[in-house]
Amino acid sequence: MNTKQYLLSAWNWSPAVIGACVAASAAYAAALRFRFPARSWYFIGALAVFFLTLTSPLNALAGGYLFSAHMLQHMLLLLIVPLLLLLGLPAINANPARRWQGFRLPTLFGWMAGVSAMWVWHERTLCELATRTETVRIVQIISLLALGTVFWWPLFGPQARQRISPLTGVVYLFSACITCSVLGILITFSPAGSVCPIYLHPPDQPGILSLIRHDWGFTPAKDQQIGGLLMWLPGCGIYLAGVMAMLARWYGAVETDEGAATQSTQEERPQLVPARATARKQ
Amino acid sequence: MIWFAAINPVLSPMSPQARALSNVFEVTLAVCGVIFLIVTGLIAWCVLRYRMSDPGVEPRQSGGNSKLEATWTLASVMVLIFLFVLTVQAMRISDAPMDREPDLTVIGHQWWWEVRYANGTVTANEIHIPTQSDMLVRVDSADVIHSFWVPQLGRKIDAIPGHLNHLWIRADQAGQYLGACAVFCGAQHAWMRILVVAQSPQEFGEWNAQQAPPAKAPSTPGGLRGEHVFLQQTCVGCHSIRGVNANTQVGPDLTHFASRQTIGAGVLENNAADVRRWLTDPQRIKPGCYMPDFHLTGSNVEDLAAFFETLK
Amino acid sequence: MNSTSATISPVTVLAGAPAERGLLSWVATVDHKRIGILYLVTTFGFFLVGGVEALLIRLQLAVPNNTFLKPETFNQLFTMHGTTMIFLVVMPALIGFANYFVPLMIGARDMAFPRLNTMSYWLLIFGGLLLHFSVLTGAAPAAGWFSYAPLSETPFSSSTGLDYWIMALLILGVGSVAGAINMIVTILTLRAPGMTLRRVPLFVWMIFINSFLIIAAIPVLNAAIVMLLIDRQLEAHFFLGIQGGSPLLWQHFFWTFGHPEVYIMALPAFGMISEVIPVFSRKPIFGYSFVAASTVAIALLSFGVWAHHMFTVGLGHTADLFFAAASMAIAVPTGVKVFNWIATMWGGSIRFTTAMCFAIAFIIQFVVGGLSGITFAVAPVDWQMHNTYYLVAHFHYVLFGGTLFGMLAGLYYWFPKMSGRLLSEKLGKWQFWLAVLGFNLTFFVQHLLGFMGMPRQVYTYPDLPGWGAVNLLSTIGAFILGFSMLLLGANILWSLLRGQPATDNPWDAWTLEWATTSPPPAHNFQSVPPIRGRRPLWDLAHPSQTDAKNATATPPGESAPEKNKALMIVFIVSEGFFFLMLVIAYLYFGRTPGAGPTAASSLNVGRTALFTICLFASSFTVWRAERGFKRKDRAAMNGWLAVTVLLGAVFLTGQATEYWGMFERGVTVNTNLFASSFFTLTGFHGLHVCIGLIALLIVLGLTRRGEARDFQSPALATVGLYWHFVDGVWVVVFSVIYLRLLL
Repeated sequence: MNTKQYLLSAWNWSPAVIGACVAASAAYAAALRFRFPARSWYFIGALAVFFLTLTSPLNALAGGYLFSAHMLQHMLLLLIVPLLLLLGLPAINANPARRWQGFRLPTLFGWMAGVSAMWVWHERTLCELATRTETVRIVQIISLLALGTVFWWPLFGPQARQRISPLTGVVYLFSACITCSVLGILITFSPAGSVCPIYLHPPDQPGILSLIRHDWGFTPAKDQQIGGLLMWLPGCGIYLAGVMAMLARWYGAVETDEGAATQSTQEERPQLVPARATARKQ
Repeated sequence: MIWFAAINPVLSPMSPQARALSNVFEVTLAVCGVIFLIVTGLIAWCVLRYRMSDPGVEPRQSGGNSKLEATWTLASVMVLIFLFVLTVQAMRISDAPMDREPDLTVIGHQWWWEVRYANGTVTANEIHIPTQSDMLVRVDSADVIHSFWVPQLGRKIDAIPGHLNHLWIRADQAGQYLGACAVFCGAQHAWMRILVVAQSPQEFGEWNAQQAPPAKAPSTPGGLRGEHVFLQQTCVGCHSIRGVNANTQVGPDLTHFASRQTIGAGVLENNAADVRRWLTDPQRIKPGCYMPDFHLTGSNVEDLAAFFETLK
Repeated sequence: MNSTSATISPVTVLAGAPAERGLLSWVATVDHKRIGILYLVTTFGFFLVGGVEALLIRLQLAVPNNTFLKPETFNQLFTMHGTTMIFLVVMPALIGFANYFVPLMIGARDMAFPRLNTMSYWLLIFGGLLLHFSVLTGAAPAAGWFSYAPLSETPFSSSTGLDYWIMALLILGVGSVAGAINMIVTILTLRAPGMTLRRVPLFVWMIFINSFLIIAAIPVLNAAIVMLLIDRQLEAHFFLGIQGGSPLLWQHFFWTFGHPEVYIMALPAFGMISEVIPVFSRKPIFGYSFVAASTVAIALLSFGVWAHHMFTVGLGHTADLFFAAASMAIAVPTGVKVFNWIATMWGGSIRFTTAMCFAIAFIIQFVVGGLSGITFAVAPVDWQMHNTYYLVAHFHYVLFGGTLFGMLAGLYYWFPKMSGRLLSEKLGKWQFWLAVLGFNLTFFVQHLLGFMGMPRQVYTYPDLPGWGAVNLLSTIGAFILGFSMLLLGANILWSLLRGQPATDNPWDAWTLEWATTSPPPAHNFQSVPPIRGRRPLWDLAHPSQTDAKNATATPPGESAPEKNKALMIVFIVSEGFFFLMLVIAYLYFGRTPGAGPTAASSLNVGRTALFTICLFASSFTVWRAERGFKRKDRAAMNGWLAVTVLLGAVFLTGQATEYWGMFERGVTVNTNLFASSFFTLTGFHGLHVCIGLIALLIVLGLTRRGEARDFQSPALATVGLYWHFVDGVWVVVFSVIYLRLLL
């Protein structure tokens, strides 16, 4: 089997993933009443990344062959998909009459969610289980999406008033970046297979393993190193981009010489006011 | 061309590996040069055009332009992506995968290089290689960190105790290529130079055939006396000469000493006068090196020198 | 200034402090301005020492095979030159400028903690003297400023020079961290009304970010040199290449500190340039928020690029590529700054004062250094040029051509404010042109030496074609450069003796330091002008054309934290980085356990868990004590405090039992790497528990003596925070060392 054949054949048209995408699009369109603002592109992006992450050969490689592929998938599901999703959501005007809308998760909770999703799923036993057992794997995917959403919520949640201040956001992201760097460093410099031994001896379907090991040159050691480095440097890059977004929001919040250029995008959000609340206002 | 190579070995590569390095360097320098010209050009324009003429008049107070900021941010990102792609390519060529046993091992010592070939030849500070063939070198250290660097033949790589490294070297043409230790390693870091002698495969084979066997017993009376001095004095406590009862491997192996071009990792040439100077007081020539001044008598020095001349 | 600020609500005018006179008043001073001047004078002294060292180095290298200096002397000289210039000149000089001008620029009366500020300064003096004391004990350190292990270990550097180096760096590090914490708290809590964080001058912003870099980076160095000291004094072998010790770990640790250190030395100079260029171009800085945000980006990225100092150690292509990418990424925010400075000049009305000349030279030379930096980010180029004179040229272009020229721009700009007299522009121009000529002659040709294949840190070199000539040129340049610095000294002396008196605002600048007299009175301001934008004095002078036209009348509140708590939090962050490195070291050595005792064979998880519960319980009791304090319930407070102290003591007893058991089985700090890293990590934690206990006892003593009668003192809340931190560290340490054994 050569690379091209593999890349063509390893797609996984999972009905659950397709169904989830369709359902999410329908709900999104319905909520916006089919009037799509520019920020809908974020939503489309979220769906596209989600879909590709779970159906493309990346998913097949992550399922037992390459730790680095697993790490890429992990980061996309935890950091990218929820972030794009939140950015794509229309703004919600809190209705003080409804208590649940005023509910705000403790900031530390969001932080713990994001950080623990990184650490807990790379505990050796859990990492093994998630790769081996389909049920655990589904739990893992859902939990990553959920924890990622909780993590980004205080920064990019649809309710502006519930967000933490931009400078707190900088600290929030920087400290998260440090913890995930430490884990990345540990993974990078640990002996091969010490994080998730299953990737040492993947179940060999004909030809795939030799393709990976020889044609692509992934030794188990190199594979784990790439995984650790992915979490460490590009992972930190995502947090850093978040920090920059926080600073842009901060500097954009007051009128400055730079004019509207660094204005945060929050005001552009179309208002999604719950139907009943609108009625009551009128 | 020879003059340029002597004056600029980094950009006079003699192997595909070194060529990949110098190519990516040249492109990078060109890119950086263009950026430098743009920046200095802009500054020069500002300096010439916007000199204060009327202190009373304040210029327009513009505070920024986000489109401009985005433009130069994106432009620099594009340039760097371009350089990154070049980096990946050059790394692959200049540092190809190591998939076999090394042809020779170079071990850094304070302050000389031990060179061991797969067939048992041991020498010091002078590496012979056949032209037109990729030699896989294992780089190791006996004490502190050193760095093996011969700019015309390939990359540099550190010799680290407890951490083996490998690199490819190769020379397309016969010749002598200079290198040096490139990590500060103590008092005599300056005199830890490397000489690579690239020979045609045939000449290399002859050299290797001559280096591998033990030393022949000296035949001249001076040589015999010198051998005696070597074994009686403390020389034998550090240096080995295969074929003579001297096997301690602290200092350089002297089995074929006379066939080498330099003494003390490049500090002196290997000729009759300099050998005597070295033996008389190595600490004056290479202060701090691990060979003490043994206060040898003049006749001892003469005899030793005569003995070393026989170690072809 | 006073007449124009008549409309302003006057800030409390403080009664003038009793006149400070004489030498003793300088020793005893806590005034930030005097301390700033002390810093600058001291660093100028060390600069002369480091400069002479550099000239001796250049003299030795002027001709091939030179015997002017002995190799050992040469090696000591460049080690001391690097250490001096970095730790005793550039860093403290920048801190000195910050000391003088940050409080003035934010409209404060002094630093948040004037006495802590004094301590930082005196630690600089003591650290500097200790470093140089090594010369009297026989030998200065001679392992380069980065002291690569194992060369810096006892078997290869047996003289005490390196021990002095370590101790001096520890002392200097404590001083720098204390200074940085002080800066952060000052900028957070003492800004004048209206001076929001979004309006602070860029110099203040950069010092702010820089201080965070210091509190994060210096503890990393401290962890590394403490481990090196344990190696040297207690015969452990963390960094020796035997029995699992790792020379590479030293490099990882050192450059994790070392690369942020480069930016620690660069960011404040960026700040000075960002003040000087706008003033002499008569325009506000172009893209304030981009310059400010790019600083944050640089600071964060600087922690992720250290391995580009290690491309030649053989980490493998994968790691090299990731770090090459990260190193290239850091060029982007730096480039953004350069373009913004140029855009500030564009369309301006430029006055070529000496300060502005130095600023322009700074940009050009810094760009050269930055571009050669990019060539090093291209890993294959680094494989050729690393540790050659090309590298020497590169970092001198950044640190001398960049930072030092930036500081000279700052000096010419601010000197009138500090002394009340202008520097001579004529002498200044002479100095400028000689410095530019000398600097570029010295260092530009060193790029060529790199191409020729000359490694750095060699005390001599063979007579190869061209080497002698180029080296001689470089030496000539160095002496021209040295002469230009003498001119600077002459200019300063001349100005102090008979310089033209400076007005309050000789450059017609816009930031607050120019709103007071030159030099400022002890209390800094009679009244602080209103601040509605980034250029308060511009707004005053041009009411119709203010920057602030769009600003809201009452700026969005950035509530200032309580300063003692802020101090403790920042300190805790700094300590956190120290422990993080020790934890990483423990895990690093734990991945491949060697022969001898291991965690599983030596530690008693159950017993330690019991003592751990005591420590965690003490967090609860200290919280109860604080609650008692808030409710003004003295009995509850004292009681809970006493219980806290008791619990802490019980925990220490538990640790002592653990240690004792290990000692009895012959497991000590030099047994193997598990033991070394275990004792280092838990030992430092135990030390912190002890310090916490002492602090708690002091608080307890104070409250019992009734010092906290009015229940206003922040002492308990502050010490309580520290105690929680000590417990928090133990959570991590306990999980990493003990809980892992259960998995």
